[in-house]
Amino acid sequence: MDLNVAIGGPQGGGIDTSSNMINRAFAEAGYNVFGVREYHSNIKGRHSYNHLRVNEERPRSLRYPVDIIVALDADTIFEHLEDVGPGTKIIYDRSFESSDLAQARMIMRDTARRIKETLDGAKFPNTVKGAVDYMKSRGGIPMPIPFNDVVASANAEGPAARYFNTLGSAVTLSIAGLDQKFTIEAIKQVFSNKEKVVAENVRVVEAAYRYASENGLAGKPLKTLQKKKRFLITGNDGSAIGKLMGGLRLQTYYPITPASDESTILEEHEEYSFIEGEKNRLKRGGVVVVQTEDEISAVTMAQGAALTGTRASTATSGPGFSLMAEGIGFAGMDEVPIVVTLYQRGGPSTGLPTRNGQSDLLFALNTGHGEFPRIVLSSGDVEECIYDAMKALNYAQRYQLPVIHLIDKNLANTTDMIPDIDTKRVPVPQTLKTVPSSDFHRYSLKTETGISEMGILGKDIFWMTGDEHDELGHVTEDTEMRDSQMRKRFKKLETALQEIPINDQAILYGPDKADITFVTWGSQKGPILDVMEDLKKEGISANLLYLKMFLPFPSEFVKKVLGKAKLIIDVESNMLAQAAMVIKLNTGISIEKSILKYNGRHMTEDEILKAAKDIYSGKSKNEIEVLQNGA
Amino acid sequence: MAHNFKNDVTVDWCPGCGDFGILTSITQALAELNLNGNDVVAISGIGCSGKTPHYLNMGGVHTLHGRSIPFATGVKLANPNLKVIVPSGDGDMLGIGAGHFVAEGRRNTGLTLIIYDNEVYGLTKGQAAPTMQLGEQTKSLARPNVFGKVNPITLALSSGYSFVARGFSFDMKQLKDLIKMAVMHEGSAVIDVLQPCPTYNNVNTMEWYRQRVYKLEEEDKNWDPVITPGNENQAEEKFQKAYTKGMEWGDRIPTGVFYDNRTIPSFTKRLNEFVPNYLDYPPSQQIVTGKDGYTPVDPYGTFAEKLI
Repeated sequence: MDLNVAIGGPQGGGIDTSSNMINRAFAEAGYNVFGVREYHSNIKGRHSYNHLRVNEERPRSLRYPVDIIVALDADTIFEHLEDVGPGTKIIYDRSFESSDLAQARMIMRDTARRIKETLDGAKFPNTVKGAVDYMKSRGGIPMPIPFNDVVASANAEGPAARYFNTLGSAVTLSIAGLDQKFTIEAIKQVFSNKEKVVAENVRVVEAAYRYASENGLAGKPLKTLQKKKRFLITGNDGSAIGKLMGGLRLQTYYPITPASDESTILEEHEEYSFIEGEKNRLKRGGVVVVQTEDEISAVTMAQGAALTGTRASTATSGPGFSLMAEGIGFAGMDEVPIVVTLYQRGGPSTGLPTRNGQSDLLFALNTGHGEFPRIVLSSGDVEECIYDAMKALNYAQRYQLPVIHLIDKNLANTTDMIPDIDTKRVPVPQTLKTVPSSDFHRYSLKTETGISEMGILGKDIFWMTGDEHDELGHVTEDTEMRDSQMRKRFKKLETALQEIPINDQAILYGPDKADITFVTWGSQKGPILDVMEDLKKEGISANLLYLKMFLPFPSEFVKKVLGKAKLIIDVESNMLAQAAMVIKLNTGISIEKSILKYNGRHMTEDEILKAAKDIYSGKSKNEIEVLQNGA
Repeated sequence: MAHNFKNDVTVDWCPGCGDFGILTSITQALAELNLNGNDVVAISGIGCSGKTPHYLNMGGVHTLHGRSIPFATGVKLANPNLKVIVPSGDGDMLGIGAGHFVAEGRRNTGLTLIIYDNEVYGLTKGQAAPTMQLGEQTKSLARPNVFGKVNPITLALSSGYSFVARGFSFDMKQLKDLIKMAVMHEGSAVIDVLQPCPTYNNVNTMEWYRQRVYKLEEEDKNWDPVITPGNENQAEEKFQKAYTKGMEWGDRIPTGVFYDNRTIPSFTKRLNEFVPNYLDYPPSQQIVTGKDGYTPVDPYGTFAEKLI
């Protein structure tokens, strides 16, 4: 079984709760669910949906057309007009049918215009009924359900619309063939055993299953697999968990989508628990999370904390990161260990505040004036977010510089099921100094690695300045000292390149030699790995050069891999193919073919596959294939 | 032996600069408080004032223009045992860093802000600072100042600072005493220091100030700006008096303590209510490595609600 579902409704209408029910119900039956959340920059009313995939393995990508569309409002039908294929089941309330597109004011004007053109072009009326018929003409199977009647049959208290999300989920799960008991268990978990709410919703579930069964919608019973304990977490969660495990004890932030969830999660867990055996040795402390007045304050306050020996970080998104530029420069110049988690969204300016993007790579590599070393690393799935956040904190401490951890919005809002969290995968070296240094030279040039001993405010007397400085940290404009300190700082990057294992810099997935060599970073990793399997079935071999670290850059490894490649296709969520530019800058290798997407929506398996095949077969002569999936 | 807070780094301020008086007042105040070199740190911004930490024998960070406050807040939050003084210019605090200045009043972290108030940007050759009067023309201005001034005392009061004072850099005894009070104050303190710039401010000179400054407590024998626990009901009246005195400028300029409210909990105390053992084990004192070199944090226990 391999099921793709899109469940949509108005923002604030319980879409997340629906997905949570579906996730947990499948999890109870032993299945894994992978999902992405798409939403507008809006609190209530505009179209929001979750795209989910369920199977026995570990799903890592999403696909269109979906198998089931669940519309909790009329807009969802209009918005997902093109997402159906042969056999797609369309679940919606029969009462939506008369809704007119012209009245759907929460649909963006240009989206509504395009929907209208599609319906008019195919000669269907501009109503939900017309839209459903259009979907039917493309193989969709309409399943109108009297939402109000089904809820009424459950005798649930309050307005019926309150239960539409439970109803939609339950019908979906019934169609998928999932036993009702799992759905009821999910309801209990989602409503945290709030007795009355659970009881009302359980009755709605029962009514939904009853309706589905009586009307021939219920799928054939799904095999129950062995259930294993898993973490149900997002990329935001992963980064927060990794930071806490990695020793983070002070986090600053200014509210911004899609970054602030990470800080909120940390704040909710400001009291953390110790593993067995440590409880008596270490007195329980807490994590301090500070909401600052702006991102300039966030990045500088974290540095103040870092100077006391605290592992400190901040998290932001593009607009906030722009404000952090001067602060990051100070961390580079003054060798302050901080981590900035940069959640990339669609830019420039305010851009697409709630949508995906990977257009901040070059900016992350060049943030701030002047030349200073930094480490820029990127994560491509939820699990990586955990361990990369730990590594980022370690790198900051080891190399005493700003570490920028890139996570794209798609990944931040990906929900994944993680079998376990390994506390022994990444060591957390103790960096807290216990003995103060005498005759301390903070920026001592007596170092082979470029790394000099960290000064701790409160333990050592030393000075720091954003000006060029001498070994003591006092202002200097001496020509030789300037040259020496510049070289000392940059020496750390060479050290880092040697010390950091190659697997943490770049990974080659698949065979050494292949017909197609994909290059990517960030959240396209999962979809491309799936595309490679799809291609294999069609007799086309493919491998993937997956980039994790952009500074320092694994030039030798990349040269070696790309040197053997027959056809290189770069896949990124930006317009300029920024990673390809970085590769060219570092290796001289030009990548001629790119699959790019910058409409802000997540890349799906099917669209990458199609573009790759078009390029491979020569059907497309374009240098750049631009992907457009997604409502 | 008491720690000597003065070091031997060459001071490159102009001869006659008011900054010397501030530097001396800081070193004397810290010595009289019997602090050690590792008990206190100085976090500055940019400009002539920003150089102060280099001249002090204690941990010192010369940060970015306008950003001394957030850097200092981070230091204090991670290690609340440290005394954190913030020598910064009027441009630093009330121009480019005005947002941080207001935010810090709300936080009340426990910083000692010393504003070097000379009404000009000295190091960039005398442009008007946010504390310069409307219509004033100092010698390097091409035309009279077209902006109104921000009032450091009333802005500090409105922002929520729990200790607000003004000193004069040529009255080092008073300034030293103000710094001592400010450093020992639990919440955040602001001292607006009138500090003539002999090179670029030919209007507000040492003499100009000498003729105008007076001490609040000398003028009014009953002047009592202090609000102690149990007397919270005095806060409003004392705040209004402080505000009224803070408005005074021109022929007579008040100095001394305007407001000293000891009943507003500091940010660190507020955090201690929520973050377990925060004051006993602040972020800088926590051990982040387990016995075996791996994390001591248990993700299963900490994030139990995410387990399905």
